Amino acid sequence: MTIIQELKHAFPIGSVISDTEQCTPYECDGLSAYKEKPMAVVLPDSIDGVKTALQICKKHQVPVITRGSGTGLAGGALPLKDGIVLGLSKMNKILKVDPLARTAVLQPGVRNISVSQAVEPYGLYYAPDPSSQVACSIGGNVAENSGGVHCLKYGLTVHNVLSITVIDMDGHVSVMDEKDDGVDLLALMNGSEGLLGVIVEVKVKLLPKPDTAQLVMAGFDSVTECADAVTSILEKGIIPAGLEMMDRFSIKAAEEYAKVGYPLDAEALLLCEVDGSFDQVKVDTQRITDILQKSGATTLRVSQTEEERIALWQGRKNAFPAVGRFSPDYYCMDGTIPRKKLAFVLEQIDTLSRKYQLEVANVFHAGDGNLHPLILYDANNPGELQQTEKFGGEILKLCLDVGGTITGEHGVGIEKLDSMCHQFPEPELKIFHAIKNVFDDSGLLNPGKAIPTLHRCAEVGQMHVHNNNLPFPELERF
Amino acid sequence: MTDVFTQQLSEQIKQAASERRTLQIAGSKSKVPLALDIEEVSMLENSGIVAYEPSELVVTVKSGTKLTDLITVLAERDQMLAFEPPDYGNSTIGGTYACALTGPSRPFRGILRDFVLGTKMVDGQGQPLTFGGQMIKNVAGYDVSRMMAGSKGSMAVITELSLKVVPLVEEVTYSLEMPEAEAILFMNKMAGTTLPLSGCAYYEGKFFYRVFGEHQKQDATPCDNSVWLTLNPFQPQLQDNQKLWRVDTEGPAPSIPNTLAVGMCGQRRWVLADEAPAPYSTQWQSYFAPRDRDPAPVAKIKKGLKNVFDPHHVFTTL
Repeated sequence: MTIIQELKHAFPIGSVISDTEQCTPYECDGLSAYKEKPMAVVLPDSIDGVKTALQICKKHQVPVITRGSGTGLAGGALPLKDGIVLGLSKMNKILKVDPLARTAVLQPGVRNISVSQAVEPYGLYYAPDPSSQVACSIGGNVAENSGGVHCLKYGLTVHNVLSITVIDMDGHVSVMDEKDDGVDLLALMNGSEGLLGVIVEVKVKLLPKPDTAQLVMAGFDSVTECADAVTSILEKGIIPAGLEMMDRFSIKAAEEYAKVGYPLDAEALLLCEVDGSFDQVKVDTQRITDILQKSGATTLRVSQTEEERIALWQGRKNAFPAVGRFSPDYYCMDGTIPRKKLAFVLEQIDTLSRKYQLEVANVFHAGDGNLHPLILYDANNPGELQQTEKFGGEILKLCLDVGGTITGEHGVGIEKLDSMCHQFPEPELKIFHAIKNVFDDSGLLNPGKAIPTLHRCAEVGQMHVHNNNLPFPELERF
Repeated sequence: MTDVFTQQLSEQIKQAASERRTLQIAGSKSKVPLALDIEEVSMLENSGIVAYEPSELVVTVKSGTKLTDLITVLAERDQMLAFEPPDYGNSTIGGTYACALTGPSRPFRGILRDFVLGTKMVDGQGQPLTFGGQMIKNVAGYDVSRMMAGSKGSMAVITELSLKVVPLVEEVTYSLEMPEAEAILFMNKMAGTTLPLSGCAYYEGKFFYRVFGEHQKQDATPCDNSVWLTLNPFQPQLQDNQKLWRVDTEGPAPSIPNTLAVGMCGQRRWVLADEAPAPYSTQWQSYFAPRDRDPAPVAKIKKGLKNVFDPHHVFTTL
């Protein structure tokens, strides 16, 4: 039997898709510049189903690309032509909510936002809120260690997951728990991009919903002043729930799109949200307003009602599509940098923008240094995507040069494999490959993603040559 | 660039590996006496703050730095370690990380590894390695820095740690007399409200809770914060034949007979018993000693990871 026959034999009708047309929805994830149709898509609805699918793939030595909702932005769920896509969207049940212990047990295909919706009657919510939260799945969140606008205060996915159940290529089931002794496998699985196991169950932490939230919006004449204001807020011991910066282009695009009253004459805009008990929010809002005034804010507005708060967020939350209206395509970057380097980095990006003749809008999770430059391009112009990717690569190198990292929350996927060669030297990369081998000695789980091969790094050709020592001297160069 | 300490450490490990000798890594030895017949690698000389940027909420520190020294430096800038590490007496940050120890604030602020952003280490082949960095958000590569928390010196020597720090807050403690079972229920209900809590415990007939920041007047007795030091680390006087167990459980789990203290909003129980009183029980007198209780697939993974970092088994396995 072929693998497809065997899968069709093992699963009910409709759970195995091998028709080329029907595979189309699975040909890419959120990084739609890259597309590939898989050999087949399997949609199990239970842990046993996942086990069966993995065992069949192992038997036939066929690669498995696990997929949640396919909203990832780095191509982590891009299929392989000779591989199977293991779609977990049918495993979408909330298995248990324990309001007293403030936990929920979820199947991996549960959508992020539906967790908060389900526990709302108990006054609880699930904190990590990636911008794709209406669609993205909790299993995918763990695989990518997803963030969101509130993670400065409430943490990333890794901080909000208590245990996971994982299946390996042989069908062995392991539970990895925060309470475990010894090395922290649960932490390792967060952000492992589907290379170490298939996550089939997730237990998350739930938090009490804050009594209230208030948003302070401030415009500044310069990026530096705005960044300094953020520094002052954090130095004064306030950890806002959200702390977002936008540059002039983003402000203009967002205002034209959402018409919420952003100051169009500002060079930089700060949105600072505090949440918690009524008393705390009142005190914090006053302190923040004072700090922003002293920091030279040219405009200042404090949300007076819940409607106003939500309206003011609309511009920022729609910044990507708003910027997208100015161009047929845009490419979203995801570096992190020390905040004190922000003005320098934006200046350099501006220089690169002129060099490549491609416009850039910048939005910035200012509290945790996560910068999202959006490069505008037109994929129909021959060579422009390649130019854009080169530009993006230079931005990531810039992030590394100032002490940052190539990805804050989107992951490496296929998109940042070359940049990984700049971030990690050979010994660390070898360790990563060895870790992969411990979990998946067949090498069939999402092969070719997240960690570049040493050969690839040797070929990237843009490697730093330190003291005239070529990196990876033992490798051939083509 | 590696410093002199790291270079010497690397040589020492390579030498031990080539001669098939084992090494034991030691900080202040505040938690466990070392074996007498195994060569010691002392980390005490490797101490001090490497970099501290209060406004970036990050401190980078050498692993042999005493907790008290680190906490003092942070307090001078009105910041603190969110995970409230227990100090067994001159304990180092490296030893605390190796044992993944978190204090009473755990249910509210998270566990030690949540605040680990990056590490420098030397592995069992003497290779200096760097994972993570100084960024609060970073998903490039596997999260080795967080994974190593709890490895108890069995895989690599951690030389440097970058940690996320948080603003220092003023905390007040309140107490109420009530039975244990009632207190466990009460503290879990309270944790589901927006009262800004940073500790919930039950000890010697009283429910204690700790609050920070702005909050309404409490209908309970204010008391000093010393109970949290009694519980962190919890080191009661025991008779020779008594066995103390640390039980990690769900917060609202029912009372366990012979419980001396309930910490971490019910998630931790300290129990006197001859046998393990519940799953996830650890006999505390031997917490730092070797043991093997993982189910087969997990045990296989952990063994595999040990071999990745320490293929010649230079480091003593705990």
